Amino acid sequence: MILSELYDYYQRLAANGQVPRFGFSTEKISYALLLNVDGSLIDEPLDVRDTSGKKPVPKMMTVPQPEKRTVDIKPNFLWDKTSYVLGASGKSSPRIADEHAAFKALHERWLADTEDPGLRAVLLFLRQWSPERFAEFSPAVRESLLDANVVFRLDGEHRYIHDSPAAEQLRSRMLAEGDATSGCCLVTGEIAPLARLHPAIKGVNGAQSSGASMVSFNLESFTSYGKNQGENAPVSELAAFAYTAVLNHLLRRGEHNRQRMQIGDATVVFWAHAATSDQAEAAELAFAGLLDPPADDASETAKLRSVLDAVAKGRPLRELGLNLEGDTRLFVLGLAPNASRLSIRFWYTGRLDQIARRLADHYLDLELQPPPWRSEPAVWRLLYATAAQGKAENIPPQLAGELTRAILTGSRYPRSLLANLIMRMRADHDVSGVRVALCKAVLTRDRRLGVSGVDLELPMSLDRTNTDPGYLLGRLFAELENVQRAALGKDVNATIRDRYYGAASATPASVFPMLLRNVQHHFGRLRKDKSGLANALETEIGQIVDGLHNAFPRSLRLEAQGHFAIGYYHQMQSRFKTKSSVDPVAIDETDE
Amino acid sequence: MAYGIRLHVWGERACFTRPEMKVERVSYDVMTPSAARGILEAIHWKPAIRWVVDRILVLRPVRFESIRRNEVGGKLSAASVRKAIKAGRTDGLVTLVDEDRQQRAATVLRDVAYVIEAHFELTSKAGPDDSEGKHLDIFNRRARKGQCFHTPCLGTREFSASFELVEDDAGMPSPHPELLTSCDLGWMLHDIDFADGMTPRFFRASMKDGWIEVPPFRGTAA
Repeated sequence: MILSELYDYYQRLAANGQVPRFGFSTEKISYALLLNVDGSLIDEPLDVRDTSGKKPVPKMMTVPQPEKRTVDIKPNFLWDKTSYVLGASGKSSPRIADEHAAFKALHERWLADTEDPGLRAVLLFLRQWSPERFAEFSPAVRESLLDANVVFRLDGEHRYIHDSPAAEQLRSRMLAEGDATSGCCLVTGEIAPLARLHPAIKGVNGAQSSGASMVSFNLESFTSYGKNQGENAPVSELAAFAYTAVLNHLLRRGEHNRQRMQIGDATVVFWAHAATSDQAEAAELAFAGLLDPPADDASETAKLRSVLDAVAKGRPLRELGLNLEGDTRLFVLGLAPNASRLSIRFWYTGRLDQIARRLADHYLDLELQPPPWRSEPAVWRLLYATAAQGKAENIPPQLAGELTRAILTGSRYPRSLLANLIMRMRADHDVSGVRVALCKAVLTRDRRLGVSGVDLELPMSLDRTNTDPGYLLGRLFAELENVQRAALGKDVNATIRDRYYGAASATPASVFPMLLRNVQHHFGRLRKDKSGLANALETEIGQIVDGLHNAFPRSLRLEAQGHFAIGYYHQMQSRFKTKSSVDPVAIDETDE
Repeated sequence: MAYGIRLHVWGERACFTRPEMKVERVSYDVMTPSAARGILEAIHWKPAIRWVVDRILVLRPVRFESIRRNEVGGKLSAASVRKAIKAGRTDGLVTLVDEDRQQRAATVLRDVAYVIEAHFELTSKAGPDDSEGKHLDIFNRRARKGQCFHTPCLGTREFSASFELVEDDAGMPSPHPELLTSCDLGWMLHDIDFADGMTPRFFRASMKDGWIEVPPFRGTAA
């Protein structure tokens, strides 16, 4: 269904002219060769790059679609890089002569009997051009011209030769003449010539720069029934072109493209299908805002809050006045690179109000008092909490896709999320608010979905009446650390959290008796200076140990370790809520 | 259906691979008729009969999961296997994964259960003592006992299926309430036409209250 939905989206966009039509694609062009009618070059090649920024940026132009070439020599029609067009390249290789010859041969074949002045000019130019003449250009031009893409323009005309009607006619003849076998396309269901290779998809972070393929069969073990390349999955050339063109359009880089975002290792693209294109755009912006709330834009945050509130109260989105319709269909596709291939991390379609409700549930599950963030955290920020040293490349693989899928479909969070968080907290002793909130979210959602074995109601803020052993032990650990800090002063290098957090949360019976014995020394010291504080802490510890009844548990299960972290966080935050100076639990407010 | 059967199959995971997403596998939302035929053939098949799948009932909601596995990039060629058979030794017949590793992610279905409604037809290879009743009895007996030639699988061999014969209407399981709507599933693989150069055939699938009607397999027609 992924390809057919992309194909439908292509049709809608092509009707507005937002994507190139069949046989064309947008490519980066740097220079245009100006030709006279007799094929001679006028002046130097014209620089068409965008020079507004610091570096000149090649212009994106719609040109005849390039052939997919990995090792073969396949020239493009009426444009190409300089090694094909002029026979000159920055890297010296014996292929350049062959490439230039192939370019000339292609144009000899197709332009031989044309009468259009522009096309004749190209033909005559190629006949009289020799690669040595490249040295005639000025040094400045020569440097940036090498290996850049060039197009042709006839002197006196505004448009490029490949845009002229004669060239387009020739192009459609070229496309019609193909030796592809016909068959039933699995995207459209029609009998059409089938694509052998699908065009490349560029723009996925981490993939090959020359483009990756979503549908590819380049190794033997990927083929079936002895079939070769595209025969393994019959997709018509038009459908293959359509879905790759629309994916390249969705993945285009730029500030104005709000249809893509990066979540962990997955590049997520999304689009909406609504009655009007304005509504579709509004829906896409709303979805982007919900999944990736902007941390600094107050008006955007307010809009997002209003959407979440409306959904929570069950009111239709139409009433918000943001041009949103509840039944707009939204399509979300998560792509991750794997060498020269694209892996589909998740695919989700649903109505806008459904998605808004699921995201509202997600934020509700995450909610923690006091909140460790100023505005709702985006998914990618949550993932950074699971990474060692907070680096993006250390995010466990697959977790990004699974977490996003869980959020969008409303199913359980991935089990590995809880395990990873507990492991991270033990490894770097950082019980941060985001990590605790995620633990709570996993456990709360499991309980809400009725997973057997999970029946503890997890409090959002400190709950002194909760008798779950994991929660109580977390609170106890926090209080013991507070006593130590109070006794030894604020600049303690390493508290019991740095030394004993892992052991305390995993095997309490082995650690807590020793900790309780040692805390008496700290109490002794504390009673001399601040006896009021000592009394308060002692009563609190007494109350917690009371709740533990008989003995400390020998070991805690993964869920109970999650409760431990939540109890620790709650107790810590309540103790230091009024004091703004020492804050042992770092509040995660900065953008990573 | 006079010679029809109903088989309840279920499993923890399933991957009915889309042909176009074969490398990084993505499963169809529901079971394909060719996978259903594969399950039935695993229980009972003879050259005399050909299974025809009529309907598939989806019992559990459609849930996906993504897993990543290490696989190999090449296949052993038939020629090298033939050589080994002739030589009587398997010395050179080895693929070392360290040299040819490919990591492939797969989006598979989770917790699936289906009821397959099918019947079989006698082919040209049916002999004089082959009759529909005889094969139907054999199938029913084997399905009741849990007998099979090889463990039936849900799309790919690593996801094995458990099966149980649905004897009568009373024992027919009902689909999850979430599935009691109609939805369009797009073009789905019907089966591979082995008689026509392994061409895949597709059909437009739609699910109504959990039921997917499978049209008859048009062999050589488009």
